Formats: sequence, C-alpha cells, structure tokens
Amino acid sequence: MSEFEPKIVGFLCYWCSYTAADLAGISRLKYPPNIRIVRVMCSSRVDPVFILKALLDGADGVLVAGCKPGDCHYQKGNYYARRRVALTKKLLESVGLEPERVMLSWIPASEAPKFAEVVKEFTERIKKLGPNPVKGEVFV
Amino acid sequence: MPKGFLLERNASDAIKELVRALIEKGLVGGAVLPVRLPTGDNYAFVFTRDEETISSSAPISPVMPVQGARVLSKLTKKQPLSKAAVAVLKPCEVRASIELAKINQLDRNSFVFVSFDCPGVYSLKSYRENPDGVEAAFSEECSSFSLSNPRPLCAVCEDFTGEFADIEVQFVGIKGTKVVAKTEKGLSFLKEIGWDQQIDDEDREEIKKIKEERLKARQAFKEEFGSMVDSPEKLLDVLSSCINCHNCRSVCPICFCRECFFDSTALRVPPHLYLERARRKGGLRFMPDTLLFHLGRMNHMSLSCVSCGMCEDACPNMVPVGRLFSLVSERTRAIFGYKPGRDINEPIPYLEFREEELEEYEVPYFEARE
Repeated sequence: MSEFEPKIVGFLCYWCSYTAADLAGISRLKYPPNIRIVRVMCSSRVDPVFILKALLDGADGVLVAGCKPGDCHYQKGNYYARRRVALTKKLLESVGLEPERVMLSWIPASEAPKFAEVVKEFTERIKKLGPNPVKGEVFV
Repeated sequence: MPKGFLLERNASDAIKELVRALIEKGLVGGAVLPVRLPTGDNYAFVFTRDEETISSSAPISPVMPVQGARVLSKLTKKQPLSKAAVAVLKPCEVRASIELAKINQLDRNSFVFVSFDCPGVYSLKSYRENPDGVEAAFSEECSSFSLSNPRPLCAVCEDFTGEFADIEVQFVGIKGTKVVAKTEKGLSFLKEIGWDQQIDDEDREEIKKIKEERLKARQAFKEEFGSMVDSPEKLLDVLSSCINCHNCRSVCPICFCRECFFDSTALRVPPHLYLERARRKGGLRFMPDTLLFHLGRMNHMSLSCVSCGMCEDACPNMVPVGRLFSLVSERTRAIFGYKPGRDINEPIPYLEFREEELEEYEVPYFEARE
C-alpha cells in the first residue's frame, strides 16, 4: 500500500528563502523531495492567484516563503505578501477549500536547518490532510 | 446644526432644481445624471449642461444600467476637469467613486457628489420585460420606499442613504425634500446658491427602522446564501451556469485594469498543458478555469466591493455572483475592519501594512513546530 506522496509547490524569495534552500542543498541536509520550488525575486511577487491556480490545478500544498519582516531585500515586500496570503487563506476558508494547505513562512538566508524543518513539517501536515479533493474534479 | 434647504417638492424635482441652480450660477460646468433614453427601454448617464436634458432627466432611476463611478472615472482618469461638475449618484456609486479616487482612477475634486435615500432598483431584465409596468410601480413605491421586486442585493443593502456624498437629499419620513450639506465642499456650494439655512436635525426614525429591517434581511441572506457556498461542490453548483463571458468584470467599477490579469499572458495556457491536466484528472471541462476566475477576482477586489450588484445584473445567465461577492467581501474585509468608500483618507488594506500583525496567518521563523 503506497503512501500518499503530496505535491507541494514552493514560492521562495531569491534573497532569503531560496538562498537558505541552496545552503541546505550544499550542506547535504535531508528534506522531503515533495516540494517543487519556484524562485521569485521577492515574496510580494506572488500574486494570490498563483496560490489559487496551484491548488485548483491539483497541488496538495503551497508554501510561500520570504525574508523575515523587517529584513526584506526590497524593504516592504514581505509585509504586503503577509496581507495577501492572509486574505487568500480567509477566502479559501469562506468557500470551503482548506486554508491549511497554504503556508506562509519567513526563512532567513543563513538558516538552512530551518528551511529543512519547515519543509518537513509542512509535508507531514499535508500528508495528514490527505490529497487535495479538487484534484480529481473534472468540472472545476 | 446641519445647514441646507427644505423644498416643498418631491426628491426628483428638488435634485433637478439644485442642479439647475448650480449650473446657472456658474459654480459647475455641467452635470452627470441618469436620463431615460428616447426609446423608453433603458436609462443612461449623460454629462450635460443643457437645460432641457436636465429637466427631463431621472435623478432617481428605477434601474442602474451602468455604475456611476465608472462614468466619473472615464472623465477624470488622466487629469481633473477644468471646471467641477455635479454628479447625481446612488449611495453605492458614491462609495465606489471614493474607492476609485483612493487608487488615482478618479479625481475627487472634479465632482460635487449629490446622493439621496435610495429605495433600490429593479433588475435590468425585469425592466426590459415590462418597462411601463416597472415605471408605474417604481414611482409609487419610491415614495413609500419599499420596492415590490428589487434586485436581491438592494433588498439587503444597509447603506442606502446619501451620507457619504457632499450634498445629501433626504425625503423618507419628511414632508417635501431636505437638501443637506454633508461636507465643507457641499456647504460652500449650497452657500453660493443661498441654500444654507439652519435646518432641523431630525432623528430620521424612519430610516433607522428601515435600516434595522435591512440588517435583519442581510443576516438571513448571509446564513442562507452562506450555506449554499461553503464547500467546493456547492460553490461549483452555484456557478454552474457561468459561461465565462467576464461581463461581471466589465461592469464592475472596481475592476479598472486595462489588461485584466485573467486575459494576460500570465494565465494563458498552451494546449499541451490542457492535455496534461485532462490526463491527470481523467477529463477536463471546457471552458476551464471558471472557478479560478471568480476566486481570483474575489481575491483582487473583494476589499473594495461596495455590493452595488452590477455584476449580477449584467450576468446573462443569472449566476448569483453579486451575492457571492458581497458575502465573501464582508468576511475578507473583517480581517482589517475595512469599509469601502467610508473615508477617502483610509487606504485600501492592500496598500498599507503594520510591522506586526496577522500573526495567526504566518508561521514565525523561530517556531516551525506547532
């Protein structure tokens, strides 16, 4: 009985979280291979519609990771990203899609173990939630 | 003490007299107000200073064929008017105009907003079926302020007075019509035409009663409609007759983007990806991405939604999209305690931030474990 392997889409900001992921790779840290990474310059580049499209196309989880508040390379981007993701999660809650499938996290560039930990936690959480119910919906 | 003028005329005539007086005195260059078309089967906004057009206009129209805020935006998107104009708008149009002014799509100073106690409107489809019947019913029901068959969103509207405009026209529970200045700007214009007398600061008991009824109706609507859209299957059922025409987006005052994200290359899907999706799901409905369009549009504009209901009116297939947006918008706005169109100096939540907020939505970097 093969276990459910979730597909997680990760939007990582170039200056902090992507660098952390890079560092995790170089340090040979182990983290689950379920995450598919999309590099963006800043977490505020992530239009909420990307998150919605990923979920409706069948992704089991979406991770948006950026710099720590106050440390954004572009000064304010992560603050706006936080508001956008909050609104997206509230919207998902209103229409009965699981907001727990979207995660917003701040991962500084030097903290590679934190990146590995965040991905591990998220993958475990999604495994518990199960596959995305919208995955098999033909009429979406 | 509020200042204004009490007229012994009905509200429509009072508004026409106000507009005429402002134009005659040279205080405004023209007026933007609804006019019934010569064919008799529709209304349109007209930007005019012609005496006859204004006398035959219909400031309180039984239908809303276009959102007034879009009209004003088209006039002042690039630069202000050389001379101010007076705009006669429904309360939801005033709020949408203030929202557009916040994002530089409309010049607030180019207009004097005049609004009134709005009884609601009939849907465009019901008007088309029987224009004379609706006209007759509306003129009677306007004075008693209770429409027999209003649009669903008008029936649960709680912001139906002209309190956010520069000049408010009140007639419910009043013998005649009161024209009241609500802002400094409104007062200065009324002063120039001599309409700035002290008037009674009445409690407007009638309005309070109607507002209570509307709030109750809105609560019932939220529960009933809310239960129809609280799961993806139910939501797909509600949206089942959507044909992806994007009419709702075209008429929405808040959707001002020249190129909508959903028409742009960002979301253009090449055929091989459709085939992939079909293979993965075991089938694919065409046109796809209907749900994505609605959820995405909600995400982009629900903070500024003024529940005017144009989207639902314009939908060719009677999808209850206006009610859906109004419901979801109330929930998303509650995160920030925001009300659109209330105050021009209150920025839209997307355009500002606080250093520490919304912690329940983020996983702090030092606390990856729950």
